[in-house]
Amino acid sequence: MDGKVKKQKKHQQKHSGPKAEKKKLRKHDKPTEEDDRRRNPKAFAVQSAVRMAKTFHRAQDIKTRKHHIPLVDRMPLEPPPVVIVVVGPPKVGKSTLIRCLIKNFTRQKLGDICGPVTIVSGKKRRLTFVECNNDINTMIDLAKVADLVLMLIDASFGFEMETFEFLNICQVHGFPRVMGVLTHLDSFKNNKTLRKTKKNLKHRFWTEVYQGAKLFYLSGMLYGEYQTQEVKNLGRFISVMKFRPLVWQTSHPYVLVDRLEDLTNPEKVRMDPRCDRTVSLYGYLRGAHLKNKSQLHIPGVGDFQVSDVNFLPDPCPLPDAQKKRALNEKERLLYAPMAGVGGLVYDKDAVYIDLPASHSRQQQEVRPTTELVQSVIDTHTTLDAKMAASKVSLFTGSATLDPSDLNEEPGLQEEHIWDPNSQRERRKVVFPGEEENVSESSSDEHSSSEDDEHAADEDMNDELFTLIKEVRAESETMAEGAPPSKIQKLEEVKSCGQSVAELPAFADSNDELEKSEEEDEGEDESEEENEVGRAEDSGHCSEEEEEESADEEVNTDGESEEDEEQGGSLVCFFMKICLTYGCTVHQSCSWNTTDFLRVCFLGLKGTSRLGLRGFHALHQLVSAFWFAFPGALRWKEDLQQKAAEAFLRQQEAAPNLSKVVYGSVDSDEEDEELGGLFRVSRPHKSKRLQTNSVDCSRFPPDSSLNWNLEEILDSIRDCFVTGKWEEGQDAATLLKQDDELYGDFEDMETGEVHKSQTAGQQEEEEVWGVRMEDEEVQKNKRLEKKRRLKERFNAEYDDGDATYFDDLKEEMQKQAELNRAEFEEMDDETRVQYEGFRPGMYVRVEILSLPCEFVANFDPHYPIILGGLGSSEGNIGYLQLRLKKHRWYDRILKTRDPLIFSLGWRRFQTIPLYHIEDHNGRHRLLKYTPQHMHCGASIWGPITPQGSGFLALQSVAGTKAHFRIAATGVVLDLDKSVTIVKKLKLIGYPYKIFKNTSFIKGMFNTVLEVAKFEGASIRTVSGIRGQIKKALSTPPGSYRATFEDRLLMSDIVFLRSWYPVTIPQLYNPVTSLLRSVGQKDNWSGMRTVGQLKHDLGIRNKPNTDSLYKPIARAKRRFNPLHIPKELQKALPFKSKPKFQQPKGKMPRDLRRPCVIREPQEKKVAALLHALGTVHHYKKKKTTTVQHAKHKEFLQQKEKQEEAKLKRQKEAKKKLYRLMGQMDKKKLKSSLKGAPKDD
Amino acid sequence: LCINNNMASNGLSYDGCNFFRQRLVLSTLSGKHVKIKNIRSKDDNPGLRDFEASFVRLLDKVTNGSRIEINQTGTMLFYQPGLLYGGSVEHDCNLQRSIGYYLEALLMLAPFMKTPLKATLRGVTNDPTDPTVDLLKSTALPLMKRFGIDGEGFDLKVVKRGMAPGGGGEVVFTCPVCRTMRPVQLTDPGKIKRIRGVAYSVRVSPQMGNRIVESARGVLNQFLPDIYIYTDHMKGANSGKSPGFGLTLVAETLDGCFLSAEMSSTPQGQGDSVLPEDLGRNCAKLLLQEVYRGGCVDSSNQSLALLLMTLGQQDVSKVLLGPLSPYTIEFLRHIRDFFQVMFKIKVQKPSEDERKGGEKVLMTCVGVGYSNINKTVK
Repeated sequence: MDGKVKKQKKHQQKHSGPKAEKKKLRKHDKPTEEDDRRRNPKAFAVQSAVRMAKTFHRAQDIKTRKHHIPLVDRMPLEPPPVVIVVVGPPKVGKSTLIRCLIKNFTRQKLGDICGPVTIVSGKKRRLTFVECNNDINTMIDLAKVADLVLMLIDASFGFEMETFEFLNICQVHGFPRVMGVLTHLDSFKNNKTLRKTKKNLKHRFWTEVYQGAKLFYLSGMLYGEYQTQEVKNLGRFISVMKFRPLVWQTSHPYVLVDRLEDLTNPEKVRMDPRCDRTVSLYGYLRGAHLKNKSQLHIPGVGDFQVSDVNFLPDPCPLPDAQKKRALNEKERLLYAPMAGVGGLVYDKDAVYIDLPASHSRQQQEVRPTTELVQSVIDTHTTLDAKMAASKVSLFTGSATLDPSDLNEEPGLQEEHIWDPNSQRERRKVVFPGEEENVSESSSDEHSSSEDDEHAADEDMNDELFTLIKEVRAESETMAEGAPPSKIQKLEEVKSCGQSVAELPAFADSNDELEKSEEEDEGEDESEEENEVGRAEDSGHCSEEEEEESADEEVNTDGESEEDEEQGGSLVCFFMKICLTYGCTVHQSCSWNTTDFLRVCFLGLKGTSRLGLRGFHALHQLVSAFWFAFPGALRWKEDLQQKAAEAFLRQQEAAPNLSKVVYGSVDSDEEDEELGGLFRVSRPHKSKRLQTNSVDCSRFPPDSSLNWNLEEILDSIRDCFVTGKWEEGQDAATLLKQDDELYGDFEDMETGEVHKSQTAGQQEEEEVWGVRMEDEEVQKNKRLEKKRRLKERFNAEYDDGDATYFDDLKEEMQKQAELNRAEFEEMDDETRVQYEGFRPGMYVRVEILSLPCEFVANFDPHYPIILGGLGSSEGNIGYLQLRLKKHRWYDRILKTRDPLIFSLGWRRFQTIPLYHIEDHNGRHRLLKYTPQHMHCGASIWGPITPQGSGFLALQSVAGTKAHFRIAATGVVLDLDKSVTIVKKLKLIGYPYKIFKNTSFIKGMFNTVLEVAKFEGASIRTVSGIRGQIKKALSTPPGSYRATFEDRLLMSDIVFLRSWYPVTIPQLYNPVTSLLRSVGQKDNWSGMRTVGQLKHDLGIRNKPNTDSLYKPIARAKRRFNPLHIPKELQKALPFKSKPKFQQPKGKMPRDLRRPCVIREPQEKKVAALLHALGTVHHYKKKKTTTVQHAKHKEFLQQKEKQEEAKLKRQKEAKKKLYRLMGQMDKKKLKSSLKGAPKDD
Repeated sequence: LCINNNMASNGLSYDGCNFFRQRLVLSTLSGKHVKIKNIRSKDDNPGLRDFEASFVRLLDKVTNGSRIEINQTGTMLFYQPGLLYGGSVEHDCNLQRSIGYYLEALLMLAPFMKTPLKATLRGVTNDPTDPTVDLLKSTALPLMKRFGIDGEGFDLKVVKRGMAPGGGGEVVFTCPVCRTMRPVQLTDPGKIKRIRGVAYSVRVSPQMGNRIVESARGVLNQFLPDIYIYTDHMKGANSGKSPGFGLTLVAETLDGCFLSAEMSSTPQGQGDSVLPEDLGRNCAKLLLQEVYRGGCVDSSNQSLALLLMTLGQQDVSKVLLGPLSPYTIEFLRHIRDFFQVMFKIKVQKPSEDERKGGEKVLMTCVGVGYSNINKTVK
């Protein structure tokens, strides 16, 4: 930051004036919800129970929808950087955005964005930016590793197909967080159209991602950059974002490679430029734990086995935990080795980044160089230093000789010390004189830190070392004037031995303990003999050759021993000498006792590391010395014996169990080198025996325990419920605790207060025993009691409504805590062995035999991903998928057309067969995928866990106008065989027909074939069903069948059967990364038949039978109908066949001639006609008149009739009334009369 | 055709026929192919034995698509695993080894099948060399339940009993399918609350069982009153072809751990006969030995427990074992070869005043995140 940042004006609160008054008033009588309820209770009353139930239901629904299945949180304490993938069509401003964000976070400018760029964005977060180019391969790969996707959309243009393609890819492979960013908003001149466009784009984006997905607007550019404030806001969004773990990502380790190096021998490359390469790839490990030697897939390259993994110091570490708000300049780190920031130097195993900013950092890590040539080329060190580092091997294949082996004059020594201030390893010069003190202090520290950890081991060694101390003390008295620092040195020896012993170098240490353990676990005695014999052997062969140099060598050793106390190399060297010169020692008479003792101590130090064999060598040495000076060392005779015994005892008692288990496997190399020159071959009798012994899981009982003895029986007393219980679990204690908790109670009826006995006692105790008991104990007790009380309370009150979900969550939480705590105190070297490389580590993965194109055609714009594979995911087999053609893809897919799948980490081309499941579970082959429905698909491909999503493309080459994702789906089942069938109809013809039985031929060729289908149901085209009965001998393949009806000779008989289909075993990984630069986006694999025909111009010759021809129908002829005579007679006339000839034309003579009238006649006829007409008219008129009259008459008659009826009715009425009145009267009189009579 | 099924790794190679089952089982689970060379190549009777061939055949029955190649002399075996299929399997086990030999491997594979396994195994149910069916039933099944393998039809039923040389026994093992293993924390075995057992006898006097029970109780009653030993005398068609008797003892702790010991009579015509009293007493002492070894898992099931831990989710599992048997040690090495999982091994020395037997071993590991890839999703 520039120094003169404008100081913001501080907010000043008003304490007086109208504003303050208003505020005070508002604060004073703020209407609360409670008040509202009280003032207007009706408004808050339940209006409708149904409505209330509905709202409650809805609230609950929304609440439950937010639940996810709880997962164990496996995120390490220091998580890897968040991968932010910036996607978008070309020219939308991806690089600019990354550049702006990097500048925002680190205040540094980056030119070309090549490969991943890692930065430290905050105290707890690091970010890795990756730019995704417009290649669908890259989009697929990056969607699988992305944590956050910044989706750039050109607002002036609108959505492009790539955006939707990428979203669909994401949907398939687990949806990472997606944030849309609208750019090019400055191209809108009209404010209204801008607003409208924003709204439209936002709503479309929401339907694709989710309602309310964040869409960011970058309004315009300023000097080629986005506006600072907007970028800052975006940065803030990114740095507080939370991520939900995705299933595939959390269950697989993966590395987004940010650096790679070719380790192939240059000479080999020169000889054969196309040879396979050894490559080391670097990056942050993400996802799950990565194990050494595991399998991984590099999308775009193929499957490989990891040959070696190791972790490196973090190149971009989080700042140390300090209580401050922001990062300082130095902590805003940037790591982008592929981007070529500043002076980037590649070394063999180190990288130096020179950043243009004021501060620069170095990451350096030193490894021992192995090749002489390389060390000579290296000009950073002086020639002497290089000579010191170089090694020479005398014979090919033997171990190299170090200059330390023939160390004459110890000069200046260097020591690597990690300097926390400068953050680098410093090479400190150490002078031989003062070295002892320094190393002493450091080793003391070391030992103290390890003390508590390895207390057990110390115990086991303790005895031995006290013994040595005794010897030491005695030798001092003998030698008179040994340096006083020697005792300290002894301790050093001890700590050194331990630290070496604790190294987890199980795999490659040539440790003798391991060897002996591996050879045979129980046969120490035979081993002992073996070892002694071997030591003698080596002694013999060396005797002749190196007699002269012997004492000289030993002397030099005596000197060099002074200054190299802490390195284990000397011990090795010493052991070599011991073994080589073991038998010649007695000739070196110039030796005095102190020298010998010194050797002895070193030897002991060695034995602690080298185990049995070393010990025996020492034994040999001592006995040789002993032989030479019979008188001088007589007092040590017994001592040595004791030491031997003690050592063996300890070895037996507590061997390092993990070494026993894991250390031995690799040490079964046949030969082991002595002094780098000689090989020892050992007989493997015991091993042979073991390899072919009985495979049985029984653990034979230990015969040393005699279960008749009382003390042996006593040793397991406490394993039973009848034995003694632990302090906390004893029934008495538990009872007491209950008393403590529930002791005091008041009897409500009587009003008596029962005080617990113990409480009273405790009070007394407190009075008496304040001085006696520690404050600490008291406090702990109280805390314990409180905790227990709380637990009980929780159990009673909380767990009442604790759901299954809560329980599950708690369980997961516990497991997560355990996972974190278990290996926390271990150092990384050891930890890595147990749990693998954990996510967040910066790892270096070495892979042998990568294709040379990978290195030669490397392009940093294409991401390299190392995707770890599960235990059987490296295998190949048949996969059954549920597949649906994408609704935006414009064609349906055809069975057996090759398709490119993206499944798991992989992209590959394969040949799918589509099928659908029938009602009886049969998988019937389909020729094409259904239009809008799921169908099954079976492919030959890599085994991927069920439930993994996939997508399919028809081609990955180039860009096309339409949507490219052809289908999506999910893996259902994995198998080694397939069950798809297609329908097959076998056709036959009857050649002899009896009643319902027919003989059918032409369906089969042999009797055997028929035999297989005996009893099968068959059918004719006309629908007559039948069954195959038995094969006939001639013609071959014919059979007898019965039907439900008689067949015709013209019938065709068919048998419906199902034929299993085989899936073509094509698995063709898309090796897009291996293509040359610029060609990476047009990989093309196998072509479809249609494409091939199109490309080669082949046209199918159609079946002539299938061609359309004009239909010529023959005229239909019918035979005359024949009716028997008898029937003819019986028929009615109507149905009788008419045999008379139809009437012919009327003969001329019978026809009447037409009449032609004369004019007179015509006149007469006209007159008659006119008269007739008049007559007719008159007649008509009279009839109408008559009609009218008659009508009138009828009406009149009706009226009269009506009147008559009326009269009659009235008369009747009168009559009835009278009759009624009379009846009434009668009734009345009868009613009246009766009571009177009574 | 694709010779190498695995695209990345070259598989593993071993020498000799020892730990034959371990290698094939782990190969099946991990999907890595395995080559075993020099099988008894220096022996007078080189090559695979009948019981091993029978085991390979059983493996072929429960898997689909396995490729097994054996050279002419039978000294070299190549095994490329297929997918575990399961279903209903019948197998006549070779009489050289008891059913326990085959069942131990099946127990490891059964939860990871495509369809629930129903295996009917015929042969020798009880013999002195291998863990018997009764022992596996009483210890291995509860152990597997701790790992979440449970449900209807998780059962091992002894239909017929057949003693060593003649055989004629029959066992039905059914196991449901499991998708993932649950991580376990078995660090405290708890105290033994009861001892149960089965004294079986076939084709001998039914009195034998009672005599065994009597003597075994005599030893165990010093520790615990709650002892119940069933006598199981099978007759007729259920009694197999050879006479014999034996005892299986199981100690159950408060925390649901099972320790067991067993002993059976020497097979007919192979060495001196045993008195039932001696057998009962010795078996009781074996149980005491097992208690002395201690841990949450008894010595014959150590490898099963370790395997299920390895195949768990990527979480820490812990289990307390007694001293590791040589078989288990080799098993740990094989686990490292096949799954790259190393166990953290911590020896717990018994303290002075504690009377809980010998030293224990606390095994800790992080699971590989294995999931049953054979199971069909609907």
